[in-house]
Amino acid sequence: MEQWTRREDERLLTGKGRYVADIHVPGCLDAAFVRSKVAHGSLRGVDCTAARRVPGVVGAWSAADLPDLPPVPHTLLARLSTEEAVAGREWPALVKDRVRYPGEALAVVLGEDRYRAEDGVAEVTAEIDPLPAVVTPAAAVEDSVRLFDGLSNTALRGEAGEPVDPAVWREAAAVVEATYRQQLLMPSPMECRTILAVPEGDRLTVWSGHQMPHRLRRELAALLGWSTDRIRVVVPDTGGAFGSKSAAFPEFVVVAYLAVTLGRPVRWIEDRLESMLVATRGRGQDQTVRLAADADGRLLAYELTIDADVGAYPHLGVGLPMQTAWMAPGVYTTPHVHATLRSVLTNTMVTYPYRGAGRPEAATAIERTMDLLARRLGIDPVELRRRNFVPPDAFPYDTPTGRRYDSGNYAAALDLALETVGYDEWRAEQARRRGDPDALPLGIGVSCYVERSGGEPGGLHEFGSLEVHEDGTVTARCGAAPSGQGHETVFPALVARTLGVPEERVRLVEGDTDEQPEGLGSFASRSAQVAGAMLQHAAQLLIEEARHRAARLWGLPADRAAWADGTVHATSGGPAPLGLADLVKATGPLRVEDRYEAGMAFPFGAHVAVTEVDPDLGTVNVLRLVAVDDCGVVLDPTVVHGQAFGSAVQGIGQALYEGMTFGEDGVPHLASGFLDYLLPTYTEIPPIEIKDTCTPSPTTPLGAKGAGESGCIGTPAAIVNAVADALGTADPGLLQMPLTPDSVWRAAHAPRPEEGVR
Amino acid sequence: MKPASFDYVVPRTVAEAVQALAGPGRTAQVLAGGQSLILEMHLQRIRPRLVVDINRIPELDGMRVDGDGLRVGALVRHAAFERADAVPGPLGTLLSRAVVNIAHPPIRSRGTMAGSFGWAHPASEWCAIGVALDATVEVTGPDGERALPARDYFLGPHRTARRPQELITAVRLPLLGGHTGVGFVEHRRTHFCFAQVAVAAALTVHDGVISDVRIGLVNSADRPVRARAAEQTLLGTEIGPLPTGRRLPDGHPFARAGRVAAQEDAAPVAEPYADAEYKRQAVAVLVGRTLREAATDLGSRLAVRQGDPR
Repeated sequence: MEQWTRREDERLLTGKGRYVADIHVPGCLDAAFVRSKVAHGSLRGVDCTAARRVPGVVGAWSAADLPDLPPVPHTLLARLSTEEAVAGREWPALVKDRVRYPGEALAVVLGEDRYRAEDGVAEVTAEIDPLPAVVTPAAAVEDSVRLFDGLSNTALRGEAGEPVDPAVWREAAAVVEATYRQQLLMPSPMECRTILAVPEGDRLTVWSGHQMPHRLRRELAALLGWSTDRIRVVVPDTGGAFGSKSAAFPEFVVVAYLAVTLGRPVRWIEDRLESMLVATRGRGQDQTVRLAADADGRLLAYELTIDADVGAYPHLGVGLPMQTAWMAPGVYTTPHVHATLRSVLTNTMVTYPYRGAGRPEAATAIERTMDLLARRLGIDPVELRRRNFVPPDAFPYDTPTGRRYDSGNYAAALDLALETVGYDEWRAEQARRRGDPDALPLGIGVSCYVERSGGEPGGLHEFGSLEVHEDGTVTARCGAAPSGQGHETVFPALVARTLGVPEERVRLVEGDTDEQPEGLGSFASRSAQVAGAMLQHAAQLLIEEARHRAARLWGLPADRAAWADGTVHATSGGPAPLGLADLVKATGPLRVEDRYEAGMAFPFGAHVAVTEVDPDLGTVNVLRLVAVDDCGVVLDPTVVHGQAFGSAVQGIGQALYEGMTFGEDGVPHLASGFLDYLLPTYTEIPPIEIKDTCTPSPTTPLGAKGAGESGCIGTPAAIVNAVADALGTADPGLLQMPLTPDSVWRAAHAPRPEEGVR
Repeated sequence: MKPASFDYVVPRTVAEAVQALAGPGRTAQVLAGGQSLILEMHLQRIRPRLVVDINRIPELDGMRVDGDGLRVGALVRHAAFERADAVPGPLGTLLSRAVVNIAHPPIRSRGTMAGSFGWAHPASEWCAIGVALDATVEVTGPDGERALPARDYFLGPHRTARRPQELITAVRLPLLGGHTGVGFVEHRRTHFCFAQVAVAAALTVHDGVISDVRIGLVNSADRPVRARAAEQTLLGTEIGPLPTGRRLPDGHPFARAGRVAAQEDAAPVAEPYADAEYKRQAVAVLVGRTLREAATDLGSRLAVRQGDPR
């Protein structure tokens, strides 16, 4: 085991992982979907007749052939959707009469294998009358083209904080304004979505690469009209999720329904092109900001207005932009903060949490605006931040937007980041280059972020148990479901450390609803913070139970039995210490279980990027990226480092590379796969240095906060600020992510207008 | 993602391959490295009824110097050009500087130079070098062999003067002489993707005067472009010492050539994140930088010849 960093690595890195597509079930049928090539249109009819005659095709159905096919359920968790938003806006699992996003499924074909099914797909014909497509909030919000007849495209309005008194803006020494675009992103896990539904007697076993198996069980049971105990959801090895694998998607509804209806195993293994067209998107906000400060740079008021692109149906993420509104203030003590939003339906696949999920949009908006204000006031951006940080003694801190930050030391993270990057030296180098007409412009960008981990009220708990076996080994169970985060390593180590037993004596079982009947899952960077705290709590319960049992066995009062190093000792001589194995042999099965509720936690950090820009081509070269993150108590430094690194790379992706463009017909230009949507790969990754500070969360005894999303939240603004700093760009609207060479070249050569409004 | 159904044949000789390509009423595609073909077939953007796999035709393999030219057989992989000394003289340097821009090592180990000429993608590095250097594409068809000059060969994106029944057997490139320096500069968003613009240059100087210059533009039109107007501005020009700074002064002949290439030679096709205006800008900048690289290369060649250790 020494040669592998994590327990799961030998399996995952040597090809021994078992993913849904690796599971062989005799007689299993493969589903392939007939997908709309238009973004928006009226469906006149679908003809599956020819497909049914294709050898190896078992069946082909459109919505008209499946009148009882249930619609797609909507997300209740974390206010991601609401009854009001979905009222009158059904999301059929197969298109009934209106196509609302490109790739929406018109029909399904089941074949003896995927190849046969695709042969069938090629024979299905559909008649669609195209309608004008709206693919941006700006285009959709006017309601000149409606996705649902008679209903506005604005599916939800929200706000956080109170409106700012106009006098504040009038009387402020400085007010800056800007507009930002948070482009649509694709989560792009290595493994696309998967589901395998196997009817067995009166039950259905569902295998899926999924973040929330219990939610999937609940939603499938509801749409089949079954009790939940008739469905078992199992999550085998899963190749990444980044937030995009936690719902019951249209294809899942169809697969489960057909498996049950036909009484045959059915699976759907999404391929990359499908995924790029119809998997959920992240981000997608048009933002307008206004920030006021006094002459000393003390922030007075901040206003954030969001038009969010939530895609064609409000079922999964219509409420997601509220996360941005709640987190709008960032790390500052701004007394007046008001965020308002409109969630607007567009002819694109649905927007849903993607690593960061609302917080990158908030952090990028305020952090870019802080740099704008610093330039306006002629104050160093670092100094401006320092003057406005929520101070360490102000926690818990209630923001004007209704968040209660649990703990933080924002200046400490920034200090460490600046020291690590060598801030003063880079400023000196920047000054030197500004005096050298031949040098490439260099910029330094700082981004201080705070985010929320654990989940929203109602979703801050987790379930789990510890079971001791006769050989003294311990099985830990919990409701989390990993998609690459290293739970198999981290959780047994945590339990072992708490119990005082060797790590290899503890084994983790999760991602199986028959093994662990209740659970929430892995999302919102919650696994360590919530499930970890739950397992630590369970280990304490186990120790208590062991002490009481031993005391009874010994005929001693409970307070005479003490726990140390995995054994119960009598506090003053007497009986020989009892290990866990002895205790089970002497007293019978030993098992504890509980539900544990944590509080929201607010991880934070400071990221600093140094970039060099080639103004003639617009190329951005990231010379250095320093990420200092504080996720409270770190359970496993290697795993947390991996999270920080991976999310920073995705943050670089948003800043510089990732983005999609659309044709006039509303169909995104993604036909060549990842040639059309560029991800940063090994050759694009700059030197990244990752450090941490530790400010424990007071909301659990464990003290851990979420670590999974830091780079996606903190890194983009650091890079954009660095580029703006290099170019001395006065108009922030010219630099919109992704900072492609053409856009940076234009920004570098734009005339320098007067800044902002005043 | 799967190809439409197709037939597959593996001829052992050029004659057999040509016979297969000439079969009646069938759209056929030649499979050499397959690095573009297989992807396009998976995406079903092309649906050949027949795939002719030429990988087992020994006579198509290998390259050799033949008189004053290099003959590259149709099975020679991109990777063969990674070493500058794989091909003699400045041509070897030019090919080695270009080849590292072709995708990733696994792709370079399969894809072929002749395949690039057959595919005729506007962003192909090899094709731009081909038109710049006056390469010849050798094809064999039912009516025998033809030699197609590169300047007449490219007709548009994926369109060439090769007839469907003809097989590319080799690409012939002229070797470059001792007074020539070369440069290749590519601009793209990530290492994974196609060039937004790239430029190849070969600069020949006698007695301090530019006597010949070849400039090839990658992805600057619907086909590879030889920047003849830009070349004209340089012929007969004294090369002079290179400027010391990073940027070429606007008045430098190389900078001027870049502007001419952008305005007169390039006919950019807009793409996402690179409209025509941006591409012209990139052409102007890259032509200047590539010529400078070529001049620097020439300088170091002459220095080596004169025993100057610089």
